[in-house]
Amino acid sequence: MTKPLEVLLLDDEPIVGRRLKPALDKIGCRVEVFQNPKEAVARIEQKEFDIVVTDIRMEEMDGIQVLEYVQKTWPRTKVIMITGYAKVDLAREAMGKGVFDFIAKPFKPDDLRRIIFRAAEALGSPIDSSLLNDEPVAQ
Amino acid sequence: MSIFIISSDAREIEESIAEKVTEAMGYKLLDRGILAEVAAKYQIEPDKLNEALKTTPSLFNKLSSRQWRHHLACLEAEVLETLMADNIVCQGLAAHLYVTGVSHAMKVRVLSGNRKGIQGVAEKKGISLQKAEKWRASELLHRKKWSLAAYNYDETDLTRYDLVINLDQIDPVEAVKTITGAAEYRKFQVMTYSLKCLSDLALAAKVNGVLLQSMADVKVQARDGSVVVLTKASNRQKRKKIETIKALAGGVEGVTYVEVHVKKNILGEMD
Repeated sequence: MTKPLEVLLLDDEPIVGRRLKPALDKIGCRVEVFQNPKEAVARIEQKEFDIVVTDIRMEEMDGIQVLEYVQKTWPRTKVIMITGYAKVDLAREAMGKGVFDFIAKPFKPDDLRRIIFRAAEALGSPIDSSLLNDEPVAQ
Repeated sequence: MSIFIISSDAREIEESIAEKVTEAMGYKLLDRGILAEVAAKYQIEPDKLNEALKTTPSLFNKLSSRQWRHHLACLEAEVLETLMADNIVCQGLAAHLYVTGVSHAMKVRVLSGNRKGIQGVAEKKGISLQKAEKWRASELLHRKKWSLAAYNYDETDLTRYDLVINLDQIDPVEAVKTITGAAEYRKFQVMTYSLKCLSDLALAAKVNGVLLQSMADVKVQARDGSVVVLTKASNRQKRKKIETIKALAGGVEGVTYVEVHVKKNILGEMD
């Protein structure tokens, strides 16, 4: 049996974690959900996740800072950014800093799963793509 | 990096640089060769489509304002659809004016330069430098007016581009190297967000093209299959116009929901 993909999901809106965790569990990811970026960063310090999915706009610490922290601590980890305030400049800034992908809210869980599939492939641990099927939009 | 949109203040420079970048990158070239295909697909006279890219509606030309907008919307829809594929260099189709907010599309402006640009015009047309300078100034003013009328976007505003190269200072060979080198920038890599922006623009253009076949005064925005149409109508026409728009826009492939916002047309009330 292949090792499950370790995913940290950070968004200060609780509903995002509630919606996305089951969607990622279904494709065999082991997901830890955080709403507080400082607590997420403390966890990242303890554990190397394969993938970090983070919101950008948050109190105390923004997603770009989380990205920089992950890159410094675990360079192999893929970071995916999700935001409700997507703009071309922000997307380019995130991409320039080495984010794996960038997606605007609202999106369907399958949109995120597609990115997770690509990230898993890039990490050398591909997931079975037949597990994709569209579900309602995550706000 | 997957899309380069190359434009210039001189058509021949735009074509030549775009061809060289296409060759160097091994990308596909999207240029005016697409016009015949667009004309056939949307049943537009090829001459009129060509005309729409050059002129603005006036009492003296063949196109009404609605036809002009319709032809441009059809072209826009086709170009945006084609750009959904990766690795393309686009030139000559005004894409620098309507591909907006797409982070993996690099907009490059190549300036022919004062000295070289005027010299080039003088040689090509066999006229004096003084006359060439006047001709060029009027051509630039015409393009500025066209871009503002068509897309409310001043194409001579250089702050709108990602990369600007002045051929008075940089040789064409170096310009091509600079452009192809920029393909390495991570900032311009394809991402899920930018692809979605592009597909939203393509859907909006498709709906716009369909609506402009029978009505003027429409503005269309799309997101994830949901379409918002802004229009004008008198109180008397309002209900019928909303129904028509919903039926037409709803029939476009990819549209899942249509919302129509109507602004009161005071002139219409006086009919």
